[in-house]
Amino acid sequence: MPRLHFGDWIEDLVGWLQSHLTWLFDLVNTVLGGMYDAVDTVLGGGEPLLMAGVLAVIACWLRGLLPGALAFVGLALIDSLGLWDDAMDTLSLVLVASVITIVLAVPLGIWAARSERVSAQLRPVLDVMQTMPAFIYLIPGVMFFGVGTTPGLLATIIFAMPPGVRMTELGIRQVDGELIEAAEAFGTSPRSTLARVQLPLALPTIMAGVNQVIMLALSMVVIGGMAGAGGLGEQVYSAITQLKVGLAAESGVAVVILAMYLDRMTGALGRRVSPLGRRAAAKAAVAAAGRFRLAHYKPGGAVAVIGVVILALVAGGMNLAGSGSSKEASAGTNVGQGKKINIGYIPWDEGTATTYLWKELLEQRGYETDVKQLDPGPLYSGVARGDIDFQTDAWLPTTHKAYWDKYSAQLDDLGAWYGPTSLELTVPSYVKGVDSLADLKGRGKEFGGKIIGIEASAGMMGTLNKSVLKAYGLEGEYKVVSSSTSSMLAELDRSIEKKEPVVVTLWSPHWAYGKYDLKKLKDPEGAWGEGEQIHTVAHKGFAEKDPTVAKWLKDFKLTEQQLTGLENDIRAAGEGHEQDGVRAWLKKNPGLVNKLAPVPGAAKAQGKDAGKTVNMGYFPWDEAIAATYLWQNILEDRGYKPNVKQLDPGPLYTALAQGQMDVQLDGWLPTTHKEYVDRFKGKLDDLGSWYGPTSLELTVPSYVKGVDSLADLKGRGKEFGGKIIGIEASAGMMGTLNKSVLKAYGLEGEYKVVSSSTSSMLAELDRSIKKKEPVVVTLWSPHWAYGKYDLKKLKDPEGAWGKGEQIHTVAKKGFGQEFPELGGWLKNFKLTEEQLASLEVEIQKGGAGNEKESARRWMDAHPGIEDELAPVAG
Amino acid sequence: MSSRLEAEHLYKVFGRRPDEAVERLREGADREELRADGTTAAVIDASFTVEPGQIFVVMGLSGSGKSTLLRMLNGLLEPTAGHVRFDGQDLTAISDRELREVRANKISMVFQHFALFPHRSVLENAAYGLAVQGVPRAEREKRAGEALALCGLAGWEKSWPDELSGGMQQRVGLARALATDADLLLMDESFSALDPLIRRDMQDQLLQLQQTLKKTIVFITHDLNEAMRLGDRIAVMRDGRIVQTGSAEDILLRPANDYVASFIQDVDRSRVLTAAAVMDEDTDGDEIGCACETATTDTPFTELCAISARLTHAVAVLDDKGKLVGRVPRQRLIGFLGDQQGEPAPCDNPRGTRDGKVIANA
Repeated sequence: MPRLHFGDWIEDLVGWLQSHLTWLFDLVNTVLGGMYDAVDTVLGGGEPLLMAGVLAVIACWLRGLLPGALAFVGLALIDSLGLWDDAMDTLSLVLVASVITIVLAVPLGIWAARSERVSAQLRPVLDVMQTMPAFIYLIPGVMFFGVGTTPGLLATIIFAMPPGVRMTELGIRQVDGELIEAAEAFGTSPRSTLARVQLPLALPTIMAGVNQVIMLALSMVVIGGMAGAGGLGEQVYSAITQLKVGLAAESGVAVVILAMYLDRMTGALGRRVSPLGRRAAAKAAVAAAGRFRLAHYKPGGAVAVIGVVILALVAGGMNLAGSGSSKEASAGTNVGQGKKINIGYIPWDEGTATTYLWKELLEQRGYETDVKQLDPGPLYSGVARGDIDFQTDAWLPTTHKAYWDKYSAQLDDLGAWYGPTSLELTVPSYVKGVDSLADLKGRGKEFGGKIIGIEASAGMMGTLNKSVLKAYGLEGEYKVVSSSTSSMLAELDRSIEKKEPVVVTLWSPHWAYGKYDLKKLKDPEGAWGEGEQIHTVAHKGFAEKDPTVAKWLKDFKLTEQQLTGLENDIRAAGEGHEQDGVRAWLKKNPGLVNKLAPVPGAAKAQGKDAGKTVNMGYFPWDEAIAATYLWQNILEDRGYKPNVKQLDPGPLYTALAQGQMDVQLDGWLPTTHKEYVDRFKGKLDDLGSWYGPTSLELTVPSYVKGVDSLADLKGRGKEFGGKIIGIEASAGMMGTLNKSVLKAYGLEGEYKVVSSSTSSMLAELDRSIKKKEPVVVTLWSPHWAYGKYDLKKLKDPEGAWGKGEQIHTVAKKGFGQEFPELGGWLKNFKLTEEQLASLEVEIQKGGAGNEKESARRWMDAHPGIEDELAPVAG
Repeated sequence: MSSRLEAEHLYKVFGRRPDEAVERLREGADREELRADGTTAAVIDASFTVEPGQIFVVMGLSGSGKSTLLRMLNGLLEPTAGHVRFDGQDLTAISDRELREVRANKISMVFQHFALFPHRSVLENAAYGLAVQGVPRAEREKRAGEALALCGLAGWEKSWPDELSGGMQQRVGLARALATDADLLLMDESFSALDPLIRRDMQDQLLQLQQTLKKTIVFITHDLNEAMRLGDRIAVMRDGRIVQTGSAEDILLRPANDYVASFIQDVDRSRVLTAAAVMDEDTDGDEIGCACETATTDTPFTELCAISARLTHAVAVLDDKGKLVGRVPRQRLIGFLGDQQGEPAPCDNPRGTRDGKVIANA
């Protein structure tokens, strides 16, 4: 049976949609997000008890005094559980999703009822919508719309739609055929029949469908919590994944209260709107008259409206009075000035701890933060999309390898803050005689032949199956059961409770080691591989958006002692008070705030010669542009007035010699610019070299294995198609290559140097790297390609390329006297290859015309560079 | 002013390629042959004319195509072939929109199971046709109220259909049909779902209303007694075809074939026959010589028997001008009652000779 690559097609489709229909997704995002925000503002805006009052009055109007009172009690209970805001978020989600669903479903149902063809075609679609597991479109939803309400709303709409359509269709179809015929016989048009006969009679069924839609929406909203839809769903989800049964139950109760409220209200509304329902209600009222008159009292519409309006006005007024007292960071440390930073975290202890630590730090620095708990998948895709700015819990290189590989192009690794971690199999310490992985052999029966794993997608599961079991010969004996982290922990908890033997996959650091008495199994074979590091991962470009925070995060480090201390304080503070725990811990560690998040130096220090004009020239070579614009920025900061002009080498040297130009930064000496320097001898000052040696070389992408030196090329010509991609045939290095390099390594017959142009060479390099094909090109250092691609310069043990050059700063005669301070700076100016390459890449990315801004971005990403290059005393 | 309804060679075939099926039917194929191909011929070559003010009853067993025929008359079903003409208009040739106009204004219908709208009150139900016509609320409620009063439902306007008995519900259905002032009333087994007593009441009421309203009525029934009672003319349908059309007496006395004959066996003739049908037109002229009771041509059979029982000789039948048109000897009455016409056979053991009396011809 041939394998049908259905999954691949879907992935291609998702990729295509992602790249081609962004505008559509953005539009949907804006519309749905806007609707949600509007509803949420209204519902979540008021004082909880007053809002509960408004909802209770509505219940009163629809169902009577007693149900109204019960509604108030239930809603007040939600408030007392501290879940009011979440409940209102959820209610908003449900209302928006339901309204959209009904607006779509009822017309569809009518259409299906009137056309057999539509009905037949709709049926399988509805089946898919109803039965396709929601996760399958929830996660792509995150890819399209980012973490937040929209994917949750969409998943809800898809899931809740079928009963709306089906019940509408059913309701209309089950209207007695004779009634339709009667209507027709009296000359009613089809449209009019729908309005006069079918819809009124189908209304009870349609309202039952609406009720179903709302109930399903509510149940789906909880699942939407996984995609960051917020509200009670998020609470339930985060509680369950952390095994906080109590919190989960509280949130669950809140969901139930909302569900009952919505169910009873839509039911009552159904009776209100349908004529048959009104009749039944009137009959019931007559029957019940006399008994419990007060409990059955229902205010008329007018009374209810007045009640709602009064409560709403009071709520609105209190809301206005209440605003304006939001806390502010003190002026001096207000770095963020209200800038919003979104942080996401996986509910692992170290993730929670550091996330709330940074939330506190950032808030102290005047940032606004939004913290969201997510599963690794949505989290990474959220960071990749930029919905989430950073997350602190990336286990690399193993655990999160799959995510990292998938999204690394849109992510920036801000470095590790903790490590090494370890992965292990763990047993409760009451399991005797099992101390090392090797001890597991032969005792499979005791453990039921099972190793309780975590999510099948986790990297450590792969390692376990692929190498650990093999290394200790456990393959046949044990089966790795993949479930989820929370199920694994639940299983561990259950087993420990019953004192049953169990072996689970676990990792350090993990709170389970603190909670239970566990034994990590030794790994003498080293099958788990080396420990990992916990990295902070940010959205690509976060460093440009917020260099200060990026710098803080890059410098972020915690020792094991600090981490456990922080985790303990957070646990001590208890559920829902993580930030208080962080504050307590920070109090115990004075000075740490300033160490972790130093406030950058206040006003820029002025140079001694501030105000002086400096004329800088450059010719359009990458490193010249880079260095010149870098200095332009620095000099402006220091109060100088730099003028920058592009010239060809000849005119530039001439202008320097004549004193019209003050300085240029790209003097290739002793070879390339020898001619000019010799000609204007005595009229120029050499301020020294800032980069070097430069080099010419052949280069291969680093995925080409086994080729590290020019000598290695020998005998592998076929692999490279016998070609070395060169540049312009006229370039000096091409001559050197043909005349001496090939000869020195005996590559003459095997390789042909293809001369083209610098840009074609770079294009060929880019193409080959995209396809992962082997390629060898002529290149030189410094070059931005080294910053952009992962390349390997081939070593030249024979020295066939000759000696490298130095890049000098060349100034007009007497520059040192005229600009003593700047002269000193330039004399000490040095860039490493990495610095220069990244600066060039930044300028490349910024595009022509934005060189100055690009250089400024690079400086922001390298905080401190300015003081290093242009130190100001005092 | 009532109008004349004409049906002309109506065919209705359900299933694939109906036109082809009609061709085959015209060439003499029968219903069973078509059924083998999966097509159902519901009505085959039905033609009739209903004069203004007449009650035309279509009678047949279930599956005979009578309901289908009725629905073609107001265009609820489109005939596969043939024409329906009403009030000078060919209903088979006009657009859907015009057809709806005709249905709204000129033709109304009463259903077997009443088909009242459960979400509307009695008054709103009766006013439904007027609402479709777009008559303003005040006027349509007034006219609907009048129609309800006509049907004996004054005072029930505010009630709901499910609060009424079956007979009352059908009165609402009748009122709904009458309220639009349509000329043509189509009644689809309208009384079949009612108890026998109520049914009789409704039949009486319909006949009574008809005396003043003079509507053109097409009435469908499977009950021959009802057909005989109501119908000015009756069409008997079998397997989609009209097998006989005629007055009640035509059907009863001159059945077109065995089917009709077997059908009328159970009919209570005494309720249907009148003196005109029973009398012997060969008169001697001496029956009016005495001052004894006489009958007219319209005298029902039962009354004729009563008169005959009071007389010693045959009953004289006079027309409306008092002229003698026939005589009904007692022998004839008994013969009609037993469906045995013709002279009695002589007796092989004539008791008359022993007693010296002649019983026959008494």
